Amino acid sequence: MGRQPKSDADRVHDRIAVLRADRGVSRRELAEAVGVHPQTIGYVERGEYSPSLALALRIARFFGLPVEAIFSLDPLPSLSQELLRRTP
Amino acid sequence: MSISPDQTYLARTFDDGRYAWARRRPVRRRAVAAQIALFLALVVATLICAATTGWSTWFFLVWTAGMLGFIPLHSLLNLSIRGVFDRSSRSMDEHQQELRERSYVAVAWPAWGLNFTAFAGAVTLVALTDEIGLGLCLGFLLWMAAGLLAYWHLAWTAPDEPADADL
Repeated sequence: MGRQPKSDADRVHDRIAVLRADRGVSRRELAEAVGVHPQTIGYVERGEYSPSLALALRIARFFGLPVEAIFSLDPLPSLSQELLRRTP
Repeated sequence: MSISPDQTYLARTFDDGRYAWARRRPVRRRAVAAQIALFLALVVATLICAATTGWSTWFFLVWTAGMLGFIPLHSLLNLSIRGVFDRSSRSMDEHQQELRERSYVAVAWPAWGLNFTAFAGAVTLVALTDEIGLGLCLGFLLWMAAGLLAYWHLAWTAPDEPADADL
């Protein structure tokens, strides 16, 4: 089971909202695919709930990405910054 | 095999969008405050009755009105927290189960204290007044409040729910 972070340092950062927007997926659709309540996806996106490993892996599988591309213990750089960094 | 929580009839009722108004923080907190006020009023009425007239018609009427008032108040409180204390674990996802466990743990000691007070208070009241009925009423009220502490904690502390799930 996941848990609520006790402090900012304890928080798990994620890119779910960006990925949902990119793929045109609603919270409800993602929630149904990974087997949770739509509100839970919202809490994870807001950083108010750190998902269990199983849920994080199911979300990663849904987007077809490695789990570390979606979740991180450190704040994630924006995708535009990452693209600029990779552009020669 | 499905990984989604079971959509029982009870779960569907608590998740019904028509009750979204009940899940807003001000409504949740007002429901908690109203229920605590109701319990305090009934405890005070029991003690006043024990100290003055003993078991009487007015006390019976107050008690009946209080218990009838408890029904809609508790329904509102349950709707505001999606009934996580009354549903089976398999109808909830991991976050809902975590919320429930967090509140149980947070109120474990106060609930123990209230249960002890229920027993000690009832015994003391009967010893002092010979009113067995009133002693039972006091004990029942405090025992019920101990069971409701987790509901009150969750309804008071739960974060606001994220906006529209279809976004």
